[in-house]
Amino acid sequence: MIARRFLLLLMSSWLVLPLGLDAHHSPAMFDGSKQLTLTGTVREFQWTNPHSYIQLVVKPDDGPEQEWSLEMGANVYLYNLGWRPSTVKAGDTLTVTVVPLRNGQPGGLLVEAKTADGKSLGGNP
Amino acid sequence: MNVRRRITQGAPARVAVTLLFGIAPLTGHAQSLPDWKGAWIGEGLTAEISGFPGRAAQYKLLGNDAPWNEEGRARMQATGAGQTNRKANGWGFPLMMNSAAPMQFLITPDETLIINVYRDVRHVYTDGRDHPAEGDRWPTTWGDSVGHWEGDTLVIDTVSVRNPNRYFFSSPPLSEEARYVERIRRTGPDRIESVMTIVDPVTLARPWVIELVYVRATGLDRLIHDDYDNDRSEVEGETFTIVPPKE
Repeated sequence: MIARRFLLLLMSSWLVLPLGLDAHHSPAMFDGSKQLTLTGTVREFQWTNPHSYIQLVVKPDDGPEQEWSLEMGANVYLYNLGWRPSTVKAGDTLTVTVVPLRNGQPGGLLVEAKTADGKSLGGNP
Repeated sequence: MNVRRRITQGAPARVAVTLLFGIAPLTGHAQSLPDWKGAWIGEGLTAEISGFPGRAAQYKLLGNDAPWNEEGRARMQATGAGQTNRKANGWGFPLMMNSAAPMQFLITPDETLIINVYRDVRHVYTDGRDHPAEGDRWPTTWGDSVGHWEGDTLVIDTVSVRNPNRYFFSSPPLSEEARYVERIRRTGPDRIESVMTIVDPVTLARPWVIELVYVRATGLDRLIHDDYDNDRSEVEGETFTIVPPKE
């Protein structure tokens, strides 16, 4: 596995992310006061309902690699943003912005994704 | 759409609507049905890649501004404290009418179907029928709807809606006695406006009036439905966590 730069940015508490409603569960599981920026390699893109997921393998400079489970909207929402099942593939390098799980597990809510050449995959509603 | 239809007069539901809300249906004339083709979504509610709408999103049917009576306030307090580890199976009614889920209005002479990508479906019968008698109907998540056209405005009368908070943890905890009247009209090429009035003798002190706007869901070339084939959210204490993927 290619080593990837691991960058952690803890945003100050006044930058609380206002998480609204999704049709499956409350956002209380995510710590809206924090955002992380991670760079890693996609192991799997799950184009599914009620959520899609990117499994991102991240290698910190000073520790073993970790696989992050990055939750996204349902595939039926992503479709409206121009995403398709082929938008992200295993082996792709992504830099992502994540609102982490409160329990400290390697997972979170994906709020932004960029390809290795800096292209944003945010969507075009 | 160039279908002609005739409005049927005298249905008891329309009489009730007139008495409750001061609406006087047009009667006895033929008219063309309007064209609401395409996919529509609540204004400002398009979900981002996270699945949540952006910072400016304003949900109007959560009940935070509703004119609750004592029972309604008690229900709001009780549901607000217990929603962080509950799941929803879709939006349900009335929340599907102000949600992040794109929807379609399929207008035919005899009924209008309202369908969203979460498989919430409403049958709005416009063929002149009334609701079933009270003893012949029961509360459901989407209720029983009948409607009629007043010019280019679709007027919908909905009853027998199960407490919406049972289906979606952020829905208003209205009672099964609530009556919902919607007046929906396309006001521009890319805009539909609706006024929903909710009367509930159990939870509301007075009618709750909500103004809603739908705009084009421009990213969709079709509505696609999918089931919950990959639910990785599991309860952990008072909330959830993400469990590892199945291999």
